[in-house]
Amino acid sequence: MLALEHRQQIAKPPFSVGWRGFWQAWGRRVLLCLPLIFVGIFLVVPLGLTVMISFWERAGLKFRPAFSLASYVSLIGGARLDVLQRSLIVALEATALSLVIAYAIAYFLARKVEPATARIVLVLFTVPFLINYIVRNVSYTVLLGRTGVVNTALVAAGVTDAPLDWLLYSDFAVLLGLVSAYMPFMIFPLFLSIGAIDRQYIEASALLGASPFTTFRTITLPLSLPGVFAAALFGFVGCLGESAVPIILGGVGYELIGNTITSSMDVLNYPLAAALSSIVILLMLLLMLGWYLVFDMRSFLGRILEWRA
Amino acid sequence: MNPWNVNRRDALRLALSVSAAAGLGVAPRRAAAAGTINFADIGVGDPGGDWSKFKAASGYDVNLVSIGNAPSAVLNVLVASGGQGTYDVINIVGGMQKPLVDNDLVEKIDTARMPNWAKDTYVQEFLGNGKPGFQFIGYKDEIYGVPTVLQGDSFAYLPEKTGQLDSYAALFDPKWKGYVALEDNYTTAGQKTALYLKKAGLAKIANPDDMTKEEFKAVTDFLIDQKKKGQFRVIWNSFEQAVNLITSKEVYVIDCWEPMVFVAKSKGMDVVYADPKEGYLLWAMAAYLVKNPNRTAEQTDAAYKLLDFMLGGWYGAKITNLRGYMTNPQAATYAKDNPAEFPADEAKRVAEITANVRRKFEQGGTWQNRWPTEVEFYESEWSRFKAA
Repeated sequence: MLALEHRQQIAKPPFSVGWRGFWQAWGRRVLLCLPLIFVGIFLVVPLGLTVMISFWERAGLKFRPAFSLASYVSLIGGARLDVLQRSLIVALEATALSLVIAYAIAYFLARKVEPATARIVLVLFTVPFLINYIVRNVSYTVLLGRTGVVNTALVAAGVTDAPLDWLLYSDFAVLLGLVSAYMPFMIFPLFLSIGAIDRQYIEASALLGASPFTTFRTITLPLSLPGVFAAALFGFVGCLGESAVPIILGGVGYELIGNTITSSMDVLNYPLAAALSSIVILLMLLLMLGWYLVFDMRSFLGRILEWRA
Repeated sequence: MNPWNVNRRDALRLALSVSAAAGLGVAPRRAAAAGTINFADIGVGDPGGDWSKFKAASGYDVNLVSIGNAPSAVLNVLVASGGQGTYDVINIVGGMQKPLVDNDLVEKIDTARMPNWAKDTYVQEFLGNGKPGFQFIGYKDEIYGVPTVLQGDSFAYLPEKTGQLDSYAALFDPKWKGYVALEDNYTTAGQKTALYLKKAGLAKIANPDDMTKEEFKAVTDFLIDQKKKGQFRVIWNSFEQAVNLITSKEVYVIDCWEPMVFVAKSKGMDVVYADPKEGYLLWAMAAYLVKNPNRTAEQTDAAYKLLDFMLGGWYGAKITNLRGYMTNPQAATYAKDNPAEFPADEAKRVAEITANVRRKFEQGGTWQNRWPTEVEFYESEWSRFKAA
């Protein structure tokens, strides 16, 4: 009887026919259109304009519509391509490092602690987002400077004779800034994908005699890959576009691509700034395409919905 | 940006960069009442919000809006954000006539409409046609900017660490390797380096204030070589950052602005703004009359009254006292003669600052060039230095 009722419920059309149904159907379409319109106006149109302007010609201080590759050609052999290359390397390094740390934290939270505790810790990881990024980065300069808290403590403890210069205005400081800025973002998708793995697979693996490491390598890691890729994407996109961290923590002109784009706009070279931006956008699109082709996005997003329910 | 990519003067107050970034989007609508002058400024020309004297004299109020000082920020405000139809006067570091006049954004100044113009002897001495400072207010033999602030920049040092220093050579002295900071700005740090290289005979540079590509490339190569040797600790981008570098003793020698030294001194630091034998990087702020198509003849008249007011004694003394820059020749006298408005210590401060900056101008050096002929080459070379 119960089963029959259930079946009837499923068989019921999603909404009743007639005027009410008509309005509901249209309401649904309108609601679906709103985010599309939003994305169109605030994302697709500006990105399209950026790509378009990158082909424009400069005429004195202004620029005029044209199809010119001049901005792209000017990149070849210049320092800006080196900056792009460095940005990619730094973003990859920071993403990899963040991934290792975030995975460990997410694994621990999803597998080793009570869900209630995990939620509290996850909430705590949102606290860094409440602090202005400039304040956060400037705080590092206070902590890590030659006369900062860390160096003072290290010298006082006799760990080192003189303050460690590489703590600030260095590759280390930039990595630290990037990791602390984007790693917390990465915990959430990892936590979701690890948490959604059916524990029975892991128990089965253990029963069949696999070591915990083998279970992790052959079961947990592959099944959490959509989350890993989502996290990597969050981290990589953020790190590649970052401009405050290199300025505040990088020292002698630690330039990343965001900085060189701003700098070219200072002399009103908008086509060049647009060309650099277009290249970065293209790289991001390729990454997204890779994600789309390799992973079924529904498997990941579906789990978010399950978790919320 | 990034709102963080600040150039000269715009970071004079931390709040300014924020309001500048916001200001791009929220330029005020032209006030409906005829009685308001819309005045865009980089944070230096605000007399503590007190325009009562101007209002009493002219009947007009002043609506001050903070903008960024980077060339792109200024042009963006006027062009992209519709500022040309909004503002009447913009007060920024001068030398921007080429982009402003060539793009038809500002009007020629009719100096006869400002009684205080003739009293401003600084114009004749330092900024008039034929003087090297003309590039800050004039273009093609015409006047486009009203000088509101004058200053000479050098560098600061901590005497307890370095002893007395009197040359830009200190910025490149291996003795202070790793304890030197430069400003992230090719028209200041780049030009000071050029001045040093020229005076020390290390590079052939005809005009440090308008270098050829080869000359600026030589400057960049020198800086990259120094950078690779580990000479510089950091290149700074904001006022607060530079002050912190001094007060935390992170660096001992820093290419910076004098008000940073005032702030550090007020925090009890023993820091000296150097008097280099090569001279100073001289510059001036200019108030430009925006070519605003919406402005009536009466409003233009009021805008001229404001420009004249800014050349006057009260405004000059107020700005000198608040910001630490020399303003106009009437300032010190006015402060001294009006103890009700300027107590003795303030009047003394105005006189001291004025005398100190005057001395710098008499000593000379190189005039900063905000828009050199090869500005794009400068920018791309500076990128090369930073990326090296």
